[in-house]
Amino acid sequence: MKRRDFLKFIGVGAAGGAAGFIIGKVSKPPGAKLIPYVVPDENIIPGVANYYSSLCTLCSAGCGIHARVMEGRVKKIEGNPLHPVNKGRLCALGQAMPQVTYNPDRIKGPLKRRGAKGTGDYVDITWEEAITIISKNLSDIAKSGSADGLYLLTPPQRGNLGALIDSFLTAYGSSNHYQYELFGQRNLYFANHAAMGLANAPHYDIENAKYVLSFGADFTSTWMSPVHYSAAYGEMRQAGKGGRGALVQVEPRLSLTGANADEWVPAKPGTEAILALAIAHAVVEKGWAKGGDLDGWRHVLAGYKPSVAADLTDVSEERIYAIARAFTHTRPSLAIGGDGVSSYQDGVSGLMAVNILNHLAGNNGATGGVIPNPEPAIKRDSAVDFKRRISTLAADAAKGKVKALIIYNSNPVFTTPVAAKLASVIRDAPFVVSMSSFLDETAVYADLILPMHTGLEDWGDDAPEPGVGTRVMTIMQPAITPYYNSKGAGDVFLGVAKQMGGRLSGLKANSFAEYLKDAWRTAYSKDRQMSASALTFDEFWEGALKRGGWWPKATVEARRQVTVSARSVSAHLAQMPARFEGKDTDYPFYLMLYPHSAHRDGRGANLPWLQELPDPMTSVVWGTWVEVNPKTAARLGLKEGDMAAIESPSGKITAPVYLYPGIRPDTVAVPIGQGHTQYGRYAARRGANPIEMLPHSEDARTGAIALNSTRVKLSGAGPSNMVKMEGSTKELGREIIQTAPPDGRSES
Amino acid sequence: MSVLNSIGEKLKSYRVPGYYTKFDHRWGMVIDLDRCNGCEACVTACYAENNLPVVGEKDCANSRAFSWLRVERYVEGEYPDVKVGFIPIMCHNCAKAPCETGCPVYATYHNQDGLNVQVYNRCVGTFTCATYCPYDVRRFNWRTYRPDKPLDEQLNPDVTVREMGVMEKCTFCIQRIRAGKDNAKDERRGVKDGEITPACAQSCPTGAITFGDLNDPQSMVSKLALSPRRYRLLEELNTDPSVIYLKRVAKDGSTGTGE
Repeated sequence: MKRRDFLKFIGVGAAGGAAGFIIGKVSKPPGAKLIPYVVPDENIIPGVANYYSSLCTLCSAGCGIHARVMEGRVKKIEGNPLHPVNKGRLCALGQAMPQVTYNPDRIKGPLKRRGAKGTGDYVDITWEEAITIISKNLSDIAKSGSADGLYLLTPPQRGNLGALIDSFLTAYGSSNHYQYELFGQRNLYFANHAAMGLANAPHYDIENAKYVLSFGADFTSTWMSPVHYSAAYGEMRQAGKGGRGALVQVEPRLSLTGANADEWVPAKPGTEAILALAIAHAVVEKGWAKGGDLDGWRHVLAGYKPSVAADLTDVSEERIYAIARAFTHTRPSLAIGGDGVSSYQDGVSGLMAVNILNHLAGNNGATGGVIPNPEPAIKRDSAVDFKRRISTLAADAAKGKVKALIIYNSNPVFTTPVAAKLASVIRDAPFVVSMSSFLDETAVYADLILPMHTGLEDWGDDAPEPGVGTRVMTIMQPAITPYYNSKGAGDVFLGVAKQMGGRLSGLKANSFAEYLKDAWRTAYSKDRQMSASALTFDEFWEGALKRGGWWPKATVEARRQVTVSARSVSAHLAQMPARFEGKDTDYPFYLMLYPHSAHRDGRGANLPWLQELPDPMTSVVWGTWVEVNPKTAARLGLKEGDMAAIESPSGKITAPVYLYPGIRPDTVAVPIGQGHTQYGRYAARRGANPIEMLPHSEDARTGAIALNSTRVKLSGAGPSNMVKMEGSTKELGREIIQTAPPDGRSES
Repeated sequence: MSVLNSIGEKLKSYRVPGYYTKFDHRWGMVIDLDRCNGCEACVTACYAENNLPVVGEKDCANSRAFSWLRVERYVEGEYPDVKVGFIPIMCHNCAKAPCETGCPVYATYHNQDGLNVQVYNRCVGTFTCATYCPYDVRRFNWRTYRPDKPLDEQLNPDVTVREMGVMEKCTFCIQRIRAGKDNAKDERRGVKDGEITPACAQSCPTGAITFGDLNDPQSMVSKLALSPRRYRLLEELNTDPSVIYLKRVAKDGSTGTGE
């Protein structure tokens, strides 16, 4: 090479390098910088993590979390070790919180509908415009004298956000706050209130129980407060004084909790309530019952002789007596009624029967039994309004009463049966606002979409439900600055109130953070235990933010005693097995629906970690399946992995067959969670949504949607591409899982 | 020269079986199968901590999923007498690890803490270690997987992101062990028991997983390891694993799912 060529070469190279450097600088997205701040906060040191105590918002249990933050980005969510609900532990769903915040399908700013409803055609607008649009619409509705036409649909809303929403609606003049969640436990609240006068869920003290009789409660996986109950389960098995606690699970399809039980009682679907009452009958008959009014109980339980119940429930008379004996003679014992029994059309009756069992065994108020929770100083669930339910919402909409519908943090189009017609309600409502982080099946019908902060970006607080026997109040604080142009729900309501003024001018706080702190200041000054815990409010607040909330070591008030009277429950007992739609000749199988362990009611389906997490019982990933007993499948000529058409009188889906020995031969089961049509790239067009097959049947008393309410037929529909992670389900003599007898003596 | 000699002696002593008893730590884990309910919170915790990629449906079907830690589930019997058992399985960090003898480039070796470690930069992807491993815990990068943006904002900066052609496996969260040891050193003290917790043990809802130093007789793992329910997986292979299981208690004393 000549010298001149060499210089040319170097020159071109340098120019190219400079150009590349400049292009790189200009085209780099802001997120690509090492620290996403021009001037970082003083507490941000590259490579050193900060931890923020906060609240997990992915389910309603209310676990405390620590968010690990480095360079302004959340890296990991872990349980808050001090928090009484989860004691430092956290489930798979909760740990996937960062994938909600950094989800590629999150809505990045407020959107206004341009195309037809349901097409997902939106234009970007600013927050000012969005707030103005809402204020104008709400003002017009109020001026026309139909303020009650504002409908708000949220999950059961706790803490000060719930309080703010309540005062907003009251000031505006609407009483239509619909609180809906598919697994919202409406039946449980009703049953516990009717039987024991409890407004809130009691604390089920699994940890100290020595005999847990669970009726379809998958409490270590999805029911109510799974992390708390899992921790209690571990302690019950191995840490308790007086030996290892036993677990007996009554359910037609073995759940994850059932798989860990010592005994599985596969009662016939729809007869669990009768089985529970037959056990109660046996308890009274044998004279094992505690408490008074035995004649009253004898009268109420007269129709549930174990000999008769044995035929109905498929559980032998001897077994009923054996369970009754163990339940009353092992101390302390505890009966729990879960989603399995509450998901029938007559769901209250099963839970009522469970309350009777606890009463007769003397478990109410006892350690290791059912413990009523003390009242926290901040707002809990607004008392569940059983009148305001999905069917009344649809009826009101049909009458044209719904003038504006605001939906926050809820996807009812996905979680209600097609027959409930919620999609058309939302499509036809004159003005629909969706407050959601994702374009889901419900948001796609909205006129206005307001992207919400995730739990890692927002302020909030919570009194966990169910409580844990002591007072617990959790604070949610932002761990990071908002990643997108989103807002918190509280700030939206306050913003609208500010702009509308007039009757809403009472809501004066400048931000929800301010509103929250003021509410806590009020609570601090009123509550003696709170004010005794710190010298000043500022000191109290700082400590609470560090710890993640406030929970005194022990509760001041004495444990409330509750009893169940024969008279209060008699009106709510099942006379016959639960009703299923479809004749057994045409539709030979009971259909059981249950929440997927990670996706729950479908909310987790857009998180890739959870899509790739094998289902604990079947190991299936990235899709839906139908669980069929191997013998049933053989009779129908179905093999594992075959696609099956599952048809009910109300609908039809297809799902791959998984051969599942833990299910009754007359029953098939499908998990809820997949089958989204919207909700981002990881969830949409994947698997099937079994809720589509359901008739719209509710418990008449509570409006809870019955998930176990139809029969189905099954037929082969060609091959499928079901992906499961398991190799063999058999150990093949390798002694992988070894067992020991109860006294802990090792086997040879 | 004496320094070099002492280093040489130290290195030599690493090759003697059982050498770990002479050193500071032997990290181990006790998993109580009577507590474990198979919920798989640990699996997601591992994904979050160790930057495990999500490979998608197709690669899952080809058994290329990355879970360093998996929960195996075994079923015995037919309806209605069905018994189910769960067991979390991760790298057992065997003291006599079969994988280490196979690697032609010394990408996997034993460190002075009793850990079986993997040097990603040395690995050339011969797959030998995965073939030798009786616990099937090694995972191979068949492609370079990168999360969809902006999911990469979550990536843990303490753990490297691996590329195509590299073998990887559970490290017992070596980054957390490092951090724990560094903190202890800064404070001029030894590592306290319970100070270091891998992501799986930290998350476990039932408290089934305990982590600690098996060399320290006062540590929780050492105490739990004395339980009469103790056993180790496939112990007959003489791999001397650092993961100790506690037997599941069967109410009727049966042999569980040993079908």
